[in-house]
This record gives sequence, structure tokens and C-alpha cells, in this order.
Amino acid sequence: MSGVEALYPFLYPEEDDGADDDAPARVLAQVVASTREKVDEIAALREEVVAAHAEALAACAAAMAHSLAGGGRLFAFGNGGSSTDAQALAALFALPTADDPRSWPATALAADVATLTALANDVAFAVVFSRPIAAAGRPGDVAVALSTSGGSANVLRGLAEARRRGLVTVGLAGYDGGAMAEPGVVDHLFVMPSSSVHRIQEAQTTVYQVLAELTRRALG
Amino acid sequence: MTGVRTPTAQDALDAVARRRAATTALSRDAERIAAACRDVAVRFARGGRLLTFGNGPAAADAAHLAVEFVHPVIVGKRALPALSLVADPAVVTGLARRAGTADTVAASLRAHARPEDVAIGLSADGDCADVAHGLAEARDRGLLTVALVGGDGGAVGALPGLDHVLRVCSPDPAVVRELHVTIYHVLWELVHVFLEHPGALPLAAAR
Repeated sequence: MSGVEALYPFLYPEEDDGADDDAPARVLAQVVASTREKVDEIAALREEVVAAHAEALAACAAAMAHSLAGGGRLFAFGNGGSSTDAQALAALFALPTADDPRSWPATALAADVATLTALANDVAFAVVFSRPIAAAGRPGDVAVALSTSGGSANVLRGLAEARRRGLVTVGLAGYDGGAMAEPGVVDHLFVMPSSSVHRIQEAQTTVYQVLAELTRRALG
Repeated sequence: MTGVRTPTAQDALDAVARRRAATTALSRDAERIAAACRDVAVRFARGGRLLTFGNGPAAADAAHLAVEFVHPVIVGKRALPALSLVADPAVVTGLARRAGTADTVAASLRAHARPEDVAIGLSADGDCADVAHGLAEARDRGLLTVALVGGDGGAVGALPGLDHVLRVCSPDPAVVRELHVTIYHVLWELVHVFLEHPGALPLAAAR
């Protein structure tokens, strides 16, 4: 049974649902049920993650607020969908909000496609985050790393460089945290205990949005 | 450090509590989400492409939604054509200068869109002029239009003639965004369910 068949076994007994007049209604009904299951899953995961990490979220937001209040900058990084989460996180600090008109210095490393592609082409993809941090990172800055597996080589190297340079390091990962959960890798670690990349990303979105909210309120 | 108020664990718990009602409400919208998935699958089956757009954090979501289709997270799923219209700052800032910030998306659509395509616009409060203008342009060109909004739906929600308006019931843009992520993850996964069962698709229908 393929991965897809395992997810949707109800769809596979009939070989030819093209001849089945009930197929549209049946598949639609199953998709509706599947949607509800996924919404229930993320609701439960979000509650579990925030309950388990409430103290750590407050401590991390305090550390980020102290960094930014002291003139620090925030660097966010990840691959694929996580690179877009890094962009969204940076935007949550860089854009004024209804409660806070300030723009805080935050940037997503993968948004600089010139640097990203130059390093990937000329050196190696594993250094695309560590090199920019080596160039621009200062003690008191913040590095936020996102990796659903916790094992992305370039993300781990970015964190290692950030720690070496005295940045506050924050890591978001899924599953069991992977290599990111090893001792000495990251100061503030948040693990989403799920095996679904999508639910992990959704819980990570809640975690970094709550971090941004608490940090900006602390700065207010 | 002066000027920093120390956050508490209770602040985090309060934040997650603020997400419950909108999440429960989303579950009640499952039929509407499923119908949008079906119609998007029809467009892909006819050779259409997905064009996405949004502002600020929603621009990141537009890129996220596109990469879901282009590079599937589940090995073995078919790659499908999708493109964020707001991912290239040279084009976006250039169009903002020439066409004005409210018309960057509409101008991109005029260049890229074909009638068989799908346009998905994301706006947490529904009041992004460029997203509204983009969806109106897409609608007028015969694309399937899907709006992901929140709050009271704003200007986007008030547009006549959109095919699917999926509204998260929360005034908090952070809460809306999180549920938009869930909606587009579900959209990607369930579009594939429909595509793998073409007998379930109304391919002969007008839209």
C-alpha cells in the first residue's frame, strides 16, 4: 500500500470510479471528514505544544526583547516552507502593528537570493545560512532557525555559527527534534511532537507568532 | 534592560486560548473548503496553473502555498504548476512604482494569467487593495478565484462574483494567518485526492 493509499484507504477498493455515479458525492464527503480530522489534529497539537512550553516561550520572548531593546538584530532561516515561515517571522518584527508603530531590524536570510545562490553555487548549500551570520551576526543579535526534521545541515550550521558568535539562538523543530535537540545546539528549543510535516509547520507558526506577540508586548 | 516588561507563561496560555473559537468555527466550514479543493483540482486537470498572492506575512504564505504544489512534501505525489506573484522583489517593486501599490498583483495577472488558471489571494483582514484588485482581475479573466480572508472579510470579502471566499472568524491577524496555513495545507493534500479520482471531478461542468 502506498503512502497515499494508507492515508485514504476508503478511496482505493474500487478500481474505476469513473463508472460510479456516486463517486463525486462519496469522495466529497470523505474529503469533508478528512478536513475536520486535520483541523482537530492541529487544535490538539497547538494546545499541547503551548502548554508544554509556556514557561519557555515567556523566557525566550524575554531574551528576544532584551536583544532587540539593546540594538540587536534578528536573523531567521529555514528551507522550503520553513524559509517562508522565516520570512513571515521577520515581517512580524519588521512591520509596524496596530499596537506598536516601530519597525524592528529583522531579516529572513533566504530572502536574499543573490547571497543564497552565490554561496550555494560557489561553496556549498550547507553554508548558505552560516556565512551570512558569520558576516553580519554580532553578540546580542537573535538567530531563529526552523526545520521540521530538526536535521537540515545548513540550518544546523547556521545555529552553530550563531552560538559561536554569541547570538541568542532559538530553534523550532518537529518529530523528536532531531539533531537540533542534541545538547549544546540551541538556547531556546521548541519541538512540535508530530510526524506530519503540515501539522508541525502549523504548530511552529503558532509558536513563532506567539513569540513575536510576547516579544513586542515586552518591548512596548 | 529598561523598557522591557517580562512576559509570563500565562501570556502564552492566554494567546493559545484566543485561538480556540476560530479553530472550532473552521471545522464547521469543512464543506466549503472541500468544494474549493474540488474546483481547484478541476482546473489542474484541465491544464491550469495556480497563481498566489498576499502582502506582508501573507506574501510568505503565497510562496509557501506555491511550493507545496511545486515540490510535494509527500514523496510520489505529482508536482503541479504554481507560482507566487509576489516572490520577486524586482518585479513587485517595479510594478509598484509604475502601476501603484494597489495594482501590482493585477498587473502581474494581466501578464501571467490564462482563463484556465486558479488565483488564490490571502489577506488576514481582507482589506488589502492589491489582493482585492488582483482577485477582481482574475475573476474578469475567467480564472477560478479563491480568497482566504479573516475578520469581517473586508474589501476582498465584499467583492461580487468570487468563486470561493474562505473566511476565518477572528479579528486577530495572527490567528487568521495560522488557520490560513491549515486551510492551504489541507487544500494541497485534498486537491491530490480529487486528482487521483477523476471520476469524482465534474470535469464537464462549466467552471
